[in-house]
Amino acid sequence: MSTIYNSKMSRRESLKRIGTMGAVIMVGGIPVACDTAEPEVASLSSTPTQGHWPEIELEAITGPTYGTDPIISNPTVPWSLTLTDVQRDQLAVLSDIICPADERGPSATAVGVPDVIDEWVSAPYASQQRDRVHIINGLQWLDDEAQLRFNANFVSASSQQQIKIIEDIAYRSQYDVPEFEQGARFFSRLRRLVFGAYFSSPEGIEDIGYMGNVAIVGEYPGPTEEAMSHIRQVADSLGLPPITEYVVK
Amino acid sequence: MASFEGFEYEVIIVGSGAGGGMAAHVLTEAGIKVLLLEAGRDYDPVTETPMFQQGHEAPLRGVSTSDKNFGYYDATVDGGWQVPGEPYSEAEDSRFMWWRARMLGGRTNHWGRLVPRFTPADFKPFSFDGVAMDWPVGYDEISPWYDRCEEMIGVCGDNPGLDDTPSSSDGVLLPPPKPRVMELLLKSACESLGIAAVPMRRAILTQPKDDRQACLWATPCGRGCSIGAAFQTTTSLLPWAMSSGNLKIVTDAMVREVHLNDEGQASGVTFVNRTNGEDMRIDGDHIILAASACETARLLLNSKSELFPNGLANSSGEVGRNLTDSLGAGVSGYIPALRDRPKYNEDGHTGNHLYIPWWDREGQKKGTLNFSRGYHFEVGARFGSPGMGIAGSADGYGKDAKDEIRSNYGTNIGLSLRGEMLVSDDCYCEIDEDTTDQWGIPVLKFHWKWSDQEINQVAHGLEWGRKIIEAMGGIVNNPDRTAEEAIEEGGQIIHEVGTTRMGDDPATSVCNQWGQTWDVDNLYVMDGGVFTTNPHKNCTLTILTLAMRNASRLAEQLSA
Repeated sequence: MSTIYNSKMSRRESLKRIGTMGAVIMVGGIPVACDTAEPEVASLSSTPTQGHWPEIELEAITGPTYGTDPIISNPTVPWSLTLTDVQRDQLAVLSDIICPADERGPSATAVGVPDVIDEWVSAPYASQQRDRVHIINGLQWLDDEAQLRFNANFVSASSQQQIKIIEDIAYRSQYDVPEFEQGARFFSRLRRLVFGAYFSSPEGIEDIGYMGNVAIVGEYPGPTEEAMSHIRQVADSLGLPPITEYVVK
Repeated sequence: MASFEGFEYEVIIVGSGAGGGMAAHVLTEAGIKVLLLEAGRDYDPVTETPMFQQGHEAPLRGVSTSDKNFGYYDATVDGGWQVPGEPYSEAEDSRFMWWRARMLGGRTNHWGRLVPRFTPADFKPFSFDGVAMDWPVGYDEISPWYDRCEEMIGVCGDNPGLDDTPSSSDGVLLPPPKPRVMELLLKSACESLGIAAVPMRRAILTQPKDDRQACLWATPCGRGCSIGAAFQTTTSLLPWAMSSGNLKIVTDAMVREVHLNDEGQASGVTFVNRTNGEDMRIDGDHIILAASACETARLLLNSKSELFPNGLANSSGEVGRNLTDSLGAGVSGYIPALRDRPKYNEDGHTGNHLYIPWWDREGQKKGTLNFSRGYHFEVGARFGSPGMGIAGSADGYGKDAKDEIRSNYGTNIGLSLRGEMLVSDDCYCEIDEDTTDQWGIPVLKFHWKWSDQEINQVAHGLEWGRKIIEAMGGIVNNPDRTAEEAIEEGGQIIHEVGTTRMGDDPATSVCNQWGQTWDVDNLYVMDGGVFTTNPHKNCTLTILTLAMRNASRLAEQLSA
């Protein structure tokens, strides 16, 4: 994959940071400043950065699509995966921050969410290619931000450090904070992909309680007694006419 | 009697969807030999339908792409909003979307199977409100044909006896499935507003019929149905016609022109073999066009002769005009009171079990509404198979976000407005003289413009849809969206009809009430092109029913 990265941080902004951050600052994989004068830099200070966004330009993926007449009863994916190992590691960490294991279901990585996202952003369709730009820039931004705040890349930062950054981009209200707007939009997109991939996996389907896609012989059974009793209560609490089953005329 | 590859036939049918499939069945059952030309490839739902496959088994979890506009598993072959190599164009400031398929059975393989009947007023709209034109047939004449058609294809539903829901004869309908709990809550909310939610009629077998099995209450109908429970011509009319021994089907046969002989009779067609690009000219004594409203208009307009320099059977100039689609707009919301509601299997027949028919014809009679005709609401409200959009509006991350998604599952409701647009001089298709498709056939150019009628109707629907969701204790999404923003594009509802309309007057219509063109009496149209107007009720049942009636008359004449 070809990436051409131009840092959008101004030279002046970069230099200003040197005083507090020190060491080698890598942004987008390219060193932008070097200062060994103040080695004690990585910390939990988590000072929010001023705005920066990688703006990595990506060559469009132009490989084969599945076409307008794929064998839909026997699906195959005709394109290759394109994320680097580093990006997949980042996605793994992020996926489990977004969707951790709990008492009701496994974690995102346990059901292969990073693979689904790799397939997604590697697909040669326009809307997936737009997501690819979002995701790859977002992953780079997280590394840049971790470097600037903690002098570490995102994956090797401590969990606490990772969360410090995530907290700044995890909520849509952060769209209104200029330095985090891009990051927050990236995170929203990633959240949808992670949960979409998780809950559509066999484990996720069970977790959320979808009980369909099974053949039933005879009449459709309709709601259970428990579901009927619940909906009657809901109608009652809303002051609606009592729930009555439809009687075929 | 003409012949093709050793098969002798009297009738050529162009198209194997609802109209062509029905015509083929009716004629061949009466002992008439038929050659059916289908532009798309052969297709067998029994072996090709992805029954029970889940999203995670498909590329991109099965989401819509530019290759498969309704998702990976949608039955449509080589089609959607674009057909490779077969473009169409739009006039300046016009937007129109044209869904096509290139497969045996056409769009019947993936349609919604919603089959409401038109009402007596729907057939005589001009008599009722003075707008547009009356159909040359009335409900009383069509009603027995509706019965026969419903009985044949298999329709589940009910006769609630409302103004907008004409009843079928006793014993015609199959029982509807039980409503889901959100539909029951909707029904209760509607009652509180003085309107009704009743079973949606769908062409789904809820009991076995002939060699078709009953619905097994799973797997979306849009994929097609390998067991024949969801009606499509490829599991019913076409195999029945084939078993008569009187039908030959030629697939990959894209008709480019209908020929006229010196006596002014249709004498045959030329089709291009889509597998090798070669033209083939064949003869025919009677020709039925059922290629879909717009393809049929295109074919007629491209069939020019000395007698018909503006297109075959177009002495009225009406071919391609009077194009309408159903109005579409969505209202959605979520019902907080339903968070964490008890789980059970809500697949049912995978469509809406209840819907909201149009309720206010009285208002129109009294002049309290600022639009003609009406609409209905289709309902989407159930525990569906979770897909890539499941996160919805969840914010944040971690267990809180995960729990939020779980709690919200099955709380969303969507109401889809389907309304009647009026015939308009602004909406039509014509030949784009500058563009041809990959076979060298000139393509269609669409002209489209909404009038106040459509905008006012959608505004009314948005207001009522919001009222209904609020009565359910719901929170409406996009409560400030205007009708202009909400109205879907022309063609997007895929109910395009009217381009070869029938009427009583050859000067203002293309076909008579039998689908027979006024200009060429051995040339018939049996697709949605013949619709005089486009009532809000989904068009396919009436396409099937008119084709059944009109092909029956032709069969009688040919057998006499």
